[in-house]
Amino acid sequence: MSRPLSTAIPRSTVATTAATRRSVLRGLGLGGLAVGGASLLAACGGDSGGGAASGSGATVKFGINEAEGAGAAHDRLAAIAQAYQKESGTKVEVNAVDHNTFQESINTYLQGTPDDVFTWFAGFRMAQFAENGLITDLSDEWPIDGLNDSFKQASTAADGKQYFVPISYYPWAVFYRKSVFEKNGWEAPTTNDDFMALMDDMQGKGITPFAFGDKDGWPAMGTFDILNMRLNGFDFHMSLMAGDEAWDGDEVKGVFDTWRKLLPYHQADPLGRTWQEAATAMGKGECGMYLLGTFVVDALGENGEDLDFFTFPELDSSIGSDALDAPIDGFCVAAAGKNQEAGKAMAKWLGSAAAADAGNNAADAPFIAANSGASTSTYSDLQKKSAEVVGAAANIAQFMDRDTNADFANTVMIPSIQAFLKNPDDIDGVTASIQEQANSIFG
Amino acid sequence: MTYETPVAVAPPERRAAAPVRREGGVLSQRRGTVATVIMAVLALLWLFPLVWALINSFREYEYTQVNGYLSFGGWTTSNYRQAWSQGDFGLHMKNSFLITVPAVLLTLWLSSMVAFVLARFSYRFNLALLGVFLAANLLPPQALLIPVFRMFREVPLPYFMSDSGSMLNSFWALILVNTAFQMGFCTFVLSNYMKTLPHEIYESAELDGASVWRQYWQLTMPLVRPALAALATLQVTWVYNEFFWATVLIQQGDKLPVTSALNNLRGQFFTDTNLVAAGSIIVALPVLVVFFALQKQFVSGLTLGSTKG
Repeated sequence: MSRPLSTAIPRSTVATTAATRRSVLRGLGLGGLAVGGASLLAACGGDSGGGAASGSGATVKFGINEAEGAGAAHDRLAAIAQAYQKESGTKVEVNAVDHNTFQESINTYLQGTPDDVFTWFAGFRMAQFAENGLITDLSDEWPIDGLNDSFKQASTAADGKQYFVPISYYPWAVFYRKSVFEKNGWEAPTTNDDFMALMDDMQGKGITPFAFGDKDGWPAMGTFDILNMRLNGFDFHMSLMAGDEAWDGDEVKGVFDTWRKLLPYHQADPLGRTWQEAATAMGKGECGMYLLGTFVVDALGENGEDLDFFTFPELDSSIGSDALDAPIDGFCVAAAGKNQEAGKAMAKWLGSAAAADAGNNAADAPFIAANSGASTSTYSDLQKKSAEVVGAAANIAQFMDRDTNADFANTVMIPSIQAFLKNPDDIDGVTASIQEQANSIFG
Repeated sequence: MTYETPVAVAPPERRAAAPVRREGGVLSQRRGTVATVIMAVLALLWLFPLVWALINSFREYEYTQVNGYLSFGGWTTSNYRQAWSQGDFGLHMKNSFLITVPAVLLTLWLSSMVAFVLARFSYRFNLALLGVFLAANLLPPQALLIPVFRMFREVPLPYFMSDSGSMLNSFWALILVNTAFQMGFCTFVLSNYMKTLPHEIYESAELDGASVWRQYWQLTMPLVRPALAALATLQVTWVYNEFFWATVLIQQGDKLPVTSALNNLRGQFFTDTNLVAAGSIIVALPVLVVFFALQKQFVSGLTLGSTKG
């Protein structure tokens, strides 16, 4: 879904040839006047000139990936921007674009006229921007009080410098209805045997163990991630995502084979079901569990009081179950942004506990702050537990579409996983095809 | 549309022998029924998704999520109110208006001038020129994405015209791009239309001393009004519905036209499909209004040039 612009285009050196400009202006002016639309067009321009200094009196542009009216997610970011403006005296101009548009046009955004600071997430794609010189080195701003080493690690690109400031995260885990588990006397499994026994028991009672939907394309990536991390370990998973391991090797085939054996415990025909419909099936008690991010509560239209979760149990005792997907959201400074100083200063502040608190105090639903000094008083039970679980995890992955090349995730993995779900027996064919395409993308 | 040349003495038998035109044209009754059924089925196929969206835009998401879309109930109008405020459609409608109106006027003005020259004067390169205009029309905009993007990035504008200091993130860019992409088609239609105007009018205008400009502005333009009206209807629809360039060239949320702003109704993960349906209906309304208001012009404008006297 990303536009074919991923190769780095060196940042523009603004070529100001006066003649070009004048003739273009003249053309525009003539056209506008002649059709009598000049007055209409006058509204096209903006009025901001933009200061150049940082600190009081300066202006910093802040691009956020939530549109106004998007609810808590937007309210938090808007409140954070306001808090910074109040505290630093720097004027913050917010540019709110909806999440999907923002993400899909990130390449043209960064190479065009980006805002100084913008919302993004940790992982491979952030590192790619760093490599291509599209985002600014923030290593001078690190370390940031309250952000531990694993967050610093997640903010670091291949050159060992930090390009990112985290603010929040959410884990992927197996969600279930507390009331359903209580009624049936089930308990969250910790070993593989417990897990299999639980699923068999659910099936015996006429409940589908796992809700499952992959019409959207990305939800099943979470299943692949967790199976790969449980079977082959975190390190293998990360180097596989980076394109350094074979997709048609025994390890990946083993993942798909385990998945094939688990598929009978999942809802059938997942390709015709969105994650929202799958979540509803779990919410209504037709399915026992659902492997998804904490945003599963959004689809249930409730605050999640009757929800609980456990991390996916271990499948191989030599690997354990101490790794999970927990995507980290945060901020980068665009290299093409006009006000680098103000951008860096704001980025540093955004990592602070004060920034997280400002966001969480302003919205109905808080996020889980990355900063350990942030207040947890507004957290729901689910979030408190999330913070605990992620804190206890030894290794954290960012989710497939953030951990690997965007083109690979979207144009190769989504159709490949869907092909596998349609025909689970052709594992050799699917893995060979992935490898072939990985060769051309990773080189 | 039949045009009978008036003949001084018309033999009465011939007149009687002329086929009698009934409602339904040359179709017999039975074939007419078949045609009606086929058309009804096709119309249903076309209308079904629209009607389905319309119906569900009046239902609560919570109700349809629990009971499925085949159920009946959960009626509400709140989706429309919410879509309007959450999508900030007032602002984005204004943006669309500021882009569409100048772009359509500019397209019609420029292409009518080109068409006038192509139709009225015989240069050696006339055909080649028309070919170039048409060929440009065949290029998919996606193929031009990177060149146009980089070109616009390098074109500086003063800050009072664009607060990004370049063509990116300004309405100018969208107006220009839309004009450029629509001109080929408009030139083609208008020049064909202008060629059907009798040459004698121009000869007498010339004799009366009308300049080329006057022949264009005071003679040709009033005569091609039906075609201009038809094109204006089409162009408003196309430019208003344009989505691709807006998402590429505009990166500032508050400058997006309303079609791109529909995305505001989707969350990062969660999408209330009933709300999006309501938003889509709202966004489609202006086009429908324009089309129905100008429907008559549209049909007559498209067919007027099709028969030669």
